[in-house]
Amino acid sequence: MTVLSVKQLSIAGPQNGVVHQISFDIQQGEWFALVGQSGSGKSMTASAIGQLLPPNMKATGEIWCGGRNLLSLPPGEMREIRGKRVSYIFQDYQGSFTPFHTIGQHFEEVQRTHLTLSKAERRQQANSALISVGLQEEMYDRYPAQLSGGQLQRASIAIALLLRPDLLIADEPTTALDSMSSFRVLELLAKLQQDTGCAILFITHDLRHVRKYADRIAVMKDGHIIETDAAQQVLHQPQQSFTRLLIHSSFSFGNLNPLPSAGE
Amino acid sequence: MSVLEVSHIYKKYGHGADVLQDVSFTMEKKQCLGLVGESGCGKSTLARCLLHIEPIDQGSILFENTPLHNKSQRSLRPYRRHIQAVLQNPSAALNPKLKIIDSLLDPYRQFGGQAKLNHFHYTSARNFASQLLEAVELPASLAERYPHELSGGQKQRVTIARAISIEPAILILDEPTSSLDVLSQASVLRLLNGLREQLGTSYLFISHDLSGVYAMSQRIMVMQGGKIVDHFEKEELLASDRHPYTQELIAMFE
Amino acid sequence: MEIMHAVNAALHRTRLKAAALLFMLSLALVAVLYTLLVLNHDPNLVSLTERLLPMSLGHPLGTDHLGRDVLTRLLLGAQQTVGYGLLALLIAVVVGVPIGIWAGIKGGLIDRIMMRIADSFLSFPDTIVAIVLSGLLGAGIENLLLAIVVVKWVSYARLARSTVISEREKDYILMARINGLRTGRIMRKHLLPHVIGHVVVLASLDLGKIILLISSLSYIGLGAQPPAPEWGAMLNDARPYFQSNPTLMIYPGLMIVLVVLVSNLLGDYCRDKFDVTKEVQS
Repeated sequence: MTVLSVKQLSIAGPQNGVVHQISFDIQQGEWFALVGQSGSGKSMTASAIGQLLPPNMKATGEIWCGGRNLLSLPPGEMREIRGKRVSYIFQDYQGSFTPFHTIGQHFEEVQRTHLTLSKAERRQQANSALISVGLQEEMYDRYPAQLSGGQLQRASIAIALLLRPDLLIADEPTTALDSMSSFRVLELLAKLQQDTGCAILFITHDLRHVRKYADRIAVMKDGHIIETDAAQQVLHQPQQSFTRLLIHSSFSFGNLNPLPSAGE
Repeated sequence: MSVLEVSHIYKKYGHGADVLQDVSFTMEKKQCLGLVGESGCGKSTLARCLLHIEPIDQGSILFENTPLHNKSQRSLRPYRRHIQAVLQNPSAALNPKLKIIDSLLDPYRQFGGQAKLNHFHYTSARNFASQLLEAVELPASLAERYPHELSGGQKQRVTIARAISIEPAILILDEPTSSLDVLSQASVLRLLNGLREQLGTSYLFISHDLSGVYAMSQRIMVMQGGKIVDHFEKEELLASDRHPYTQELIAMFE
Repeated sequence: MEIMHAVNAALHRTRLKAAALLFMLSLALVAVLYTLLVLNHDPNLVSLTERLLPMSLGHPLGTDHLGRDVLTRLLLGAQQTVGYGLLALLIAVVVGVPIGIWAGIKGGLIDRIMMRIADSFLSFPDTIVAIVLSGLLGAGIENLLLAIVVVKWVSYARLARSTVISEREKDYILMARINGLRTGRIMRKHLLPHVIGHVVVLASLDLGKIILLISSLSYIGLGAQPPAPEWGAMLNDARPYFQSNPTLMIYPGLMIVLVVLVSNLLGDYCRDKFDVTKEVQS
């Protein structure tokens, strides 16, 4: 079953286009990675799905989710979709939290907007959500500044998955974290995906962050998707030279050729 | 031959817990020593102590057998040309109001007379800047630009050029690639490796990325909670007697 | 001042700023040349037979109640009003900026003492302090200048200090320290370029205010003393003749307005000039 279907999506600013007629589908429970350099248009694509584009950017084409075209939805219905069907986590985990509200108050905000639960039920749900992302219940009363980067990103994942969305859009969620914290966040996402069955649209510039987890990979360059295929296919038999360059640059112990030359 | 000897240094801020606890190591000439650790483990504090931006509480830091840890800021100044640094965020490390050439020449203008250069030759500011930019594979025309006109990778190359301009004995690289995209990361590491071989500088390469440290270093230290928990030759990385934390790190990168 | 801002905004919108500035400067130049080379009147020469003459070729703006040529006095007034205004401003900047940078970079006790002194100056309105000081020191343009410097250095010190504080924790200052630069050199080379842009903008806006201050204090008799051709003093002199010869008050008033306007335009121009990061955006 298809959770999200993007058809001929183009995004343009006042002067020039940043995304040109891209199309892709995301299946239920799938980990779909969108990989590209900064400025390739991958984050704009993510924003367009939730109608989160900056006011001077305009999206054309179709984005189908739950039988409706998200691009033509009125803002009120879009808010409903954004909470329940599609949710987001971002690179800037600090910016995702209001500094003078506790983690618990952030949970409350989502719960009271979209759910009808008693106070005790809300607290119960928040606690189990915190535990499911590996945080202690005490974090409920903490302020964002009292948590580390990895902990904050976990909390934002807990909130994003609270309403059991069909699709989680993860826009560079590991880029601002060190590699150990990002590894743990990735492991967590993979586990939660198995538990909840939600699809993940994972946006990153770093193939290392998806090689173990992604089912399918789309490579984006200058606003075009230049290659889409099953992850193993893209990683082992890339069709495009740019994809090869990306793979070559993301060295690990796997390839003991330590310093790749970027010239190829 | 050792160029920097660090023995039993301790550091804490105010009345908090120790940020550095009994840290000891030696840096060998012309080699790259890697330091891996998570954010908050104390690795950046260590860099600041080695650069004498922060005083240490206990222990000693010897540069070619001269103790530096008990020197005043004033008497340290002549030694600063031997220990240079490249920091994580190149945008912050360049003064936005200065042209690239002026940022580049800052160390030379400070230490000019004392620095005996082997690879670069100062004839004029413009010529010196071109040599430096060429060494980091940038076009000489960038000298007259301002930092905001350059990409992140280009800016980091400029800060590298600045750091090597007076041919220091030691270069402390504090997460030099963490704020760059993947393609720039690989090419900046490759550049740094080449410069080390060419100039004979000793590196302390600090990173949270074990794969990068592995690619760059001859020896590797692992830091956790302010302590060096593991210390080994690069070839011994996959040995069975590695510290459990090191093994955990290795598992993450496989 | 509101009118100034409105005019300023309009000029900005129509991209006439540079043209307006050029036009006013060339107008001023023509007037100066004409007055000095062709007319050559003595600004203080009293001639009761030539009182309150209307416009003519020999007296393009007529004469005042003592028969002195109005245009000549207006232009020499520029030297007095604008010249002293610039001088006061320059001294205030030269005193205030280094103190501010120094306090900002040192921090701690020095900073706290400097800033409490600055606060105590700021807690009184400019005009009141200037009036009280020049009242205490006695009327006269030198004392007025001193009073203005005392009032104005504070805002430059505070501006420099706040800029330094926002910059001093950044990595490039750290790198300068790693490179062994002395505090004085860090101040000059790395911090001054950040401060100077802000200072020039504030100074050009202040120039208008200072000119108004000089003129208004001269108007109430505390600044320039007769027969010095200062615009505020000229306004004061012309008061009794407002009914019969209103132009005697209108001309110096107009000059003040024009100079304040030009100083604002100059400020905008300087701000654009000093902001290197803006070049690529436009």
